[in-house]
Amino acid sequence: MLRVEGLSVWYGATEVLRNVGFTVPDGEIVALMGGNGAGKSTTLNALSGLLKPRGGAIKLGDRRIDGLHPHDVVMAGIVQVPQGRYVWPSMTVRDNLVLGAVTRRDKAGIARDIEAQLDLFPALRERQKVRAGALSGGQQQMVAIARALMARPKLLLMDEPSHGLSPKIVEEMIDIIRTLHKRGMTILLVEQNVGVAAALAGTAHVLRNGEIALTAPGGELLNNAQLLKSYLGR
Amino acid sequence: MLPFLLVSGLTTGALYALVAIGLVLVYRSTTHINFAHGELFMVGGFLAYTGVVILGWPYVPSLILAVIGTFILGIVSDRAIFRPLIHAPGLSMVLATVGFSFLLKGIGRLLWGGRGEFTSMPPIVDPSPIFLAGLPILPQQLVVLAAAVACMLALAAFFRGTTAGKSMQATAESTRASYLVGIRVERVYMYTWGAGAAIAAVAGCFMAPLTLLSPDIGFNLLLKAFAATILGGLGSMGGAVVGGFAVGIIESLAGGYVYTAFQDVSAFIVIIAVLVLRPQGLFGTRPAREA
Repeated sequence: MLRVEGLSVWYGATEVLRNVGFTVPDGEIVALMGGNGAGKSTTLNALSGLLKPRGGAIKLGDRRIDGLHPHDVVMAGIVQVPQGRYVWPSMTVRDNLVLGAVTRRDKAGIARDIEAQLDLFPALRERQKVRAGALSGGQQQMVAIARALMARPKLLLMDEPSHGLSPKIVEEMIDIIRTLHKRGMTILLVEQNVGVAAALAGTAHVLRNGEIALTAPGGELLNNAQLLKSYLGR
Repeated sequence: MLPFLLVSGLTTGALYALVAIGLVLVYRSTTHINFAHGELFMVGGFLAYTGVVILGWPYVPSLILAVIGTFILGIVSDRAIFRPLIHAPGLSMVLATVGFSFLLKGIGRLLWGGRGEFTSMPPIVDPSPIFLAGLPILPQQLVVLAAAVACMLALAAFFRGTTAGKSMQATAESTRASYLVGIRVERVYMYTWGAGAAIAAVAGCFMAPLTLLSPDIGFNLLLKAFAATILGGLGSMGGAVVGGFAVGIIESLAGGYVYTAFQDVSAFIVIIAVLVLRPQGLFGTRPAREA
């Protein structure tokens, strides 16, 4: 599905990603881990077209997508759920979902997909007409995920879906992501929470100082807790 | 005298509100104050003048000419001036819009100047007053008021009911989220500059027959609209409307009861008073934008 090769990104005179390469196979969940400033969000932003990489290639299937405008990245099938959720606070939950499908023209399909999201997130159904800014953090995260799904992505990028949520809501998030996985969604998950990554990811890559320092099967993350701690800087 | 002053204040206030809405529209979406906004108002007024007086067209086609002309002007200015500066520091944009205002003023003088200090525009409807409940009211004032309110309602419907309107709203609230769902943010900015200019032109068309036209009229209007947005709370659409009406009425009352020359000063006094007493304005909150 996704193949990243030799990706390098610079902020001014600083190289923040150096020769980063990994793949996300069809239907799998791959985790990208690392401490603050390791380059996780930079990688996602390069994938989404918010940053232009200086070197390397990003391929979705056979197609090069590096350097595309964010709109064209969404059209190609990659949609990001940003960290901190970034819902549109003064707009209703429903309008947030409607705009998630801004790249689509099939009205009937959009209406069906809104129903599908409300089935997936029953808590949102009764709050369709509520301003998204009035929701709890967990519900805003649901809106952000549902909004991303409205674009019918092939690959979902999730930037710290557990960030700032209570342990109980984090469990709910894990269930939701598992459900998406079961439905065949391919997911690249950025996580600092080892528990969440271990519970979900088939493979985990650990970034340090802009380079991939370690790759391990998700199930083995918890066995290497000590090693991970040194990489995650905690 | 009071009812008369109130009616005239409401009429000019409605036009200030329209100009202020355009200013807020652009500010919300792009976080920039368009200092050329008053000149777009002026160009709109003169385009209508070109239609009505120079070409002898009826009023409605002239209005359409003004709206389409300034809309295109707004879009061209975005492509030529503002988009290249999209990532430049805020001050560059301020200077760019100020520079653009001088350019428009120069073009205005070139095309429509030299007709005496002020150019008059024929009235839209019969200028003789009618009496409503014993009040002498100019039919023109009613037309202006109705047009301004219709314009505001149309805008509200646009924001609530259309994907384009929602995309503008979304871009104003979170540029990042808008990029990530695939909204063409640069295009939204472009249409926002165009729409802001077109709204200013509508106000210009209706103001021209009431007052008079001059290529230098823009700055004064920008000032009034600016006072309205400061009063209403910078970034609030509803605030711009309320602020516009308030500035119109305050100005009318100040001119009627205090001193005629006080009329134009009152906008300054509003700005200063609001900044001292309630800097966020009547309906303003701190702009809720990401860093």
